[in-house]
Amino acid sequence: MSELETQKRSSIFKRKDVRQTGLLWIVLTAIIGFVASEVQVRSMGAPASETMATTINMMRVFTWAAAPIAGLVAAMAATTLLAKRHYGDTPPDDVDHEIRNSPRAAGTWIIVSALMCLFALIWGMVALQRESVGLLDSKAMHVNVVGQQWAWNFDYIDNGTVRSQDLYLPVDKPVVFNVTSKDVIHSFWIVQMGIKIDANPGYMTQTSVTPDKIGVYDLRCAELCGLLHAYMQKKVHVVSQADYDAWISNQGGNI
Amino acid sequence: MNKRLFGVLGTVILGAALITGIGTYVSSAKNDSRVLAATPAGTIDTPQGELPHYTLDMSSYPDSMAGSHGADGGAHPDWVTFGPVTNFEVPAHSAITITVRQYDGGETITNDFFATVHGTVDGTMTLNGEKVRSIPANQIGHTWTLHGLSDTKDQLFVSVPLKAVPDEEMPEEGYSSNPPTTTFTFITGDAGEYIWNCEFPCGDGTVARFGSAMSTMGYMSGHFTVVNA
Amino acid sequence: MTTMMDRSPSAPGHSAPKKALIERLNMWTGFALGIIMAVVFYYLSKALLPVNTEESFIKTNQDQYVLLSMIGWLIGFMTGMGALIAPFRWVMGRDLSHDENLFYAGKGQGIKRYFRFTTDHKVVGIQYLVITMVIFGVGGILAMLIRTNLGHAGGGWLHPQAYNAVVGTHGIIMIVGTIIMVTGPFGNFIMPIMIGARDMAFPRLNALSFWLVVAAIPPLLASFFLGGISTGWSAYNPLASQAPHGMDGYIMFIVIFALSTMVAGANITTTVVKMRAKGMTWNRTPIFIYGVVASVALALPAFPVFFLSQVMSAMDRATGSTFYDPRGGGSGWLYENLFWIMGHPEVYVILIPAVAALMEMAPVFTRRPLFSFNVAVLGIAGISGLSILVWAHHMYTTGWAPLLNGPFMLTTELISIPTGMLFFVLIGTLWRGRLWMTMPTASIYALLWNFMIGGITGIYLSDVPIDAFLHGSMYVTAHFHYTLMGAGLTGALAALVYWFPKMTGRMFDKSLSWISFWLVQIGFNVTFIGMFLVGLAGQPRRVEAYPEAFSQGNLITTMGAYTIMAGMLVLLHGVISSWRSGALAPANPWFAKTLEWSVPNPVPLENFEVLPVVTSDPYGYGKAKS
Repeated sequence: MSELETQKRSSIFKRKDVRQTGLLWIVLTAIIGFVASEVQVRSMGAPASETMATTINMMRVFTWAAAPIAGLVAAMAATTLLAKRHYGDTPPDDVDHEIRNSPRAAGTWIIVSALMCLFALIWGMVALQRESVGLLDSKAMHVNVVGQQWAWNFDYIDNGTVRSQDLYLPVDKPVVFNVTSKDVIHSFWIVQMGIKIDANPGYMTQTSVTPDKIGVYDLRCAELCGLLHAYMQKKVHVVSQADYDAWISNQGGNI
Repeated sequence: MNKRLFGVLGTVILGAALITGIGTYVSSAKNDSRVLAATPAGTIDTPQGELPHYTLDMSSYPDSMAGSHGADGGAHPDWVTFGPVTNFEVPAHSAITITVRQYDGGETITNDFFATVHGTVDGTMTLNGEKVRSIPANQIGHTWTLHGLSDTKDQLFVSVPLKAVPDEEMPEEGYSSNPPTTTFTFITGDAGEYIWNCEFPCGDGTVARFGSAMSTMGYMSGHFTVVNA
Repeated sequence: MTTMMDRSPSAPGHSAPKKALIERLNMWTGFALGIIMAVVFYYLSKALLPVNTEESFIKTNQDQYVLLSMIGWLIGFMTGMGALIAPFRWVMGRDLSHDENLFYAGKGQGIKRYFRFTTDHKVVGIQYLVITMVIFGVGGILAMLIRTNLGHAGGGWLHPQAYNAVVGTHGIIMIVGTIIMVTGPFGNFIMPIMIGARDMAFPRLNALSFWLVVAAIPPLLASFFLGGISTGWSAYNPLASQAPHGMDGYIMFIVIFALSTMVAGANITTTVVKMRAKGMTWNRTPIFIYGVVASVALALPAFPVFFLSQVMSAMDRATGSTFYDPRGGGSGWLYENLFWIMGHPEVYVILIPAVAALMEMAPVFTRRPLFSFNVAVLGIAGISGLSILVWAHHMYTTGWAPLLNGPFMLTTELISIPTGMLFFVLIGTLWRGRLWMTMPTASIYALLWNFMIGGITGIYLSDVPIDAFLHGSMYVTAHFHYTLMGAGLTGALAALVYWFPKMTGRMFDKSLSWISFWLVQIGFNVTFIGMFLVGLAGQPRRVEAYPEAFSQGNLITTMGAYTIMAGMLVLLHGVISSWRSGALAPANPWFAKTLEWSVPNPVPLENFEVLPVVTSDPYGYGKAKS
C-alpha cells in the first residue's frame, strides 16, 4: 500500500521531507520559544511583587512548553508548502497514496496534548493555591478599597481613620484588600503587582499581595464602568515601613 | 487590466471616504465644544512660594436652562448641569482659584470620602466665607472632582464637596437667590489632560444614579487641560 | 444574480389578474407596517401606561415606551413581510395551496424573491450572505472609528459617550455577524445540497430565521440615536441599568436575534438528522456538516439563556424589578453567569463551522483524503461538549465563587485537547499533499498561524494567576480577535471564495482574492500583535484614552487596522465585480467530490432532479499505489 506501511519504521526518518521537517522543527521551536517568551516578558515590565514574578515566570514556561507544538505544526506546514505547489485553474494530480488516518499518530498527539494540558493545569493549580493562601495571613494589614464611578479611595482600617485617593503601601508587608463598589462593577488592578479583583456593589471581594519593591505603580480599572472608565486610574506608592509610618502619622492615623 | 485596477482603487477610496465621513460626523457630534480659559489675577503666596494666580468661575444648576445648553435647555432641559461651560484650560505651575455657586438641592452622598476636601492648598475650601475641611455628608449637592490618567507624571487630584441649597430654600421657579458659594485654590503641575466630574449620584439608573447627565460629557463632567503658559 | 430557469406561467402573479395578498407583501410593506406599528405602540404606551412615582428605581417611563415600540416594530415588520400568512391560514382551518407554496419558494420571481418571505434555502443563503456583509460593513466602520480614536494617546477625537457607544455596538454587531457568517450563507445555501436534500426540513422557519435577523437590526441602529450602547457588548448590569435608552435597542436586538438563532438551530439540526441522502451514513457525512450542526446545536441551549438574561435586564430597566440590583436582593453576578453561559458556547458557535469549512476544503486543495475523519468528529464533539462547562473562566476575577476557579480552570484547559485534534486533522491533511495554491489553501495556512496564536494565548488566559494579570486588558481583546477573526473570519472568507461559484454561478476574481487575503492577514497580525503588547504593558480594554506609555503599540495597531480596511474593501469589490461580471463557473470548478458540486449552475429549484444515493465519503482522493 503506502510507503509508510511498506517500509521499515526506522527508514521513515531517512526520508528527505521528514528530515527537513525535523530540522525545521528544532529551529522553529527555538525561534518561537525565544521570540514569543522574550517579547511578552519584556512587555510585562519589571515585577513589583512575587505574585507578578510568578505570573511572568509562568508566561515564560508556558510559552516554551507550547513552542514545540507550534514549531511542529509550523515545520510540517512549511515543509508541505516548500515541496509541491501547483498554480492554475485545474487541480494537480491526486497524491499517490490514500492514507486516511494513522492511529499511532493520533494516539500520540492526543496523549501528548493531554500531558501538556495536565502540566499547565498542575502548574496553575499550585500557583493559584499559593496565592490564595495570602488571604489567610494573620500578619497581613488590611486596606478597604472602594470603587465608585471613576474614582477609587482607600481606608487604612488598621491605622484608624486614615483615607486616601492614592494607595500607599509599606514594602515587604503582606496586605489584604477588601474591595467593594458604590455603584457598578469595577475591577481593581494593580498592574505591576499582577493582582486583580472586581469591585461589586453590595458585596465585598478580597485579594492579597506582598509588594516587594519600592516605587510608584499603576492602579487601573479593568472593567468597563461607564463614561470615564478610561480615567479611573490611580497611583500606588510602595514606600519603606518608616516612610509609611511617617505618612500615616501625617494623615492623623495611629501606627 | 487598468480598468480593473481603477475599479479596485475606486472601491477602496470610496469606502475610506465613507468611513472618514462617518467618523467626522461622529467626532464632531460634541455638545460641549466651548472651552473657558482661566483669568489671570496677578500672583499669590502659596506654600510653594509666589506663583502666578488664575481664577475660574462656575456654577451648578438643577436643570439645563442655564449653562451652555442654550436658552431652551438643549436636548435635555431637565438634566442637572454645570455652567457656563464644562471645559477649562489653565496654565501649568500656577495657583488656580475656582469659585462655584451651587443652585441645586441635594441629600446624603453615597461615599463620604467625597464629603471631605482633597488636594487643595492646605486642605481647605472657603464655603460662604468660612474656611472648612469638610461638610456633613447629608448636606451635599454635588462635588467637583478633578483627576487624570496614571502616567509617569505627578497627577492632580482635587475634590471638593459643594453644599446643597437646603430643601426649604429651593424656590418653586427659577434658581435660589442665595446659592452656597465655594472657593478653593490648588496648584497645577506639568501640562497634561485631566477630566473632572461630579461624584454625587445625581443621574439615572438602579443601583447608583450615574446615568443621563452623569454619563454625558458637557453636564456633570468635562475636560480640564493644563497647558504651558 | 442568478435567475430561475423555470418560469411556469401557472405561478401566481402571472396568471391572476388581481394580486393576492401573499403577492403584495414584501420587505417594503414589512418596513412600512413595522414603522407604523412602532409609532402606534409608542403613542399608545405613552397614553395608557401609568406614570412612575418618585420612589420608583427608574426615573422615567421612557424605557417602557422605547421597548414597547420596538416590540411593535417586530410585530408590524413580520406581519407586513407576510410571515404570518400561513399560521393565520391554519388558525382559519385552511392550508396553503400548492401554487402558493411554490410562490413562497420563490418560483419565477427573479430578483424579487430576495425581498420576500421566500422559503427556498438558496434564496435564504444569498440573503444571509448579503446581510452578513452589511453587518460586517457596519461593524468594520465602527472598528475604524475605535482605532482612529486610539491612534494617539489621550484620546478625545470622539466624545467618551460616543466612543463607548461605538465600542459596544462594534462588539455586539460583530459577534452577531460572526455567528451567522458561516451557518447563515453556507449552512443554508450549501448544506442541504451537500447532504442531498431538496430543501430544509422547515422551509418557512428558514425564511423566518432570516427575516428575524433583518428585524433585529433597526433596533440596534436606533440605539445610536437613543444614546448608544454604552456598556460594551457584554452589557453588564448594573451598568446597563444606568445606560441610556440605546440599551433598550441592544436588548431588543438580542431578544429578536436569539429567537432567530433558536429557530435556525432547530431547523438545521432537524434537516441534517432527518434529510441526508440515502446511503449518507454518519461516516460518509462531510465534516462541514458536522461543523454546522455542532454550531447550531450549541446555540440551542445557549441562546435561550441569552434571551432570558436580556428579558430580565429589560424588566429591571422598565418595570422596576431587581434581578440584578443588590438593593432588591439581586446580583450583578447573576447577570454575568447568565451572560457567559451563553457567551462561551457562543464563541465555539462562531469558530467550529469556520474551521470545519476549512477542513472540508483541505482535501480538495491538497488532493488527498481528509486525514483522520474520526479525530475531526471527535474534536468537534469534544469542543461542543466541553464548551458548555467553561463559562466561569470569564469570571475568575469577579470574586464570585473563588473555589470554582480551580474546576473551571480544569474544564477550560481540557478544551485544548479537542482543539488540538482540529490542528492534527488539518496538518495531517496538508502533510504530503499536493498543494493547489488558491486563496482557500492560503487561508488554511492563515488559520493554522492565527489559531495557534489565539489558542496558546487562550491557555495563558485559562490559567487563573495569569488571568489575574491579563483579564480585562487589551491582551484579552487581541486573544479573542485572533480566534474569532483570525480563525473564524479567515475560514468564512475562504468559504466565500470556495462556494462563490456555486452560489452565484461565477468564479471569484482570483487576483482580488489574493490581494485581499494578504492585506487582511498582514493587517490583522500587525493590528493584534500590537494589541497584545499594550495589553501586557497594562492597557485596559474599552478605554477611550490612555497614557503616553502605550502610544507606540496603539499606533501600530491603528496602522494594521487601516490595512485590514483596505483588504476588506478590495474583497468587497471582488464580490461585487465577480458577481456582476465574473467568469461563468463550471458546475465543479474545484473538482471536489461533495454533492453540492454535482448539481448544475445555477442550482435549480429543489436542487436535484433525482435524489442522489451516496456510496462513499467525499474524500476519496489519492491513488492506491499497487
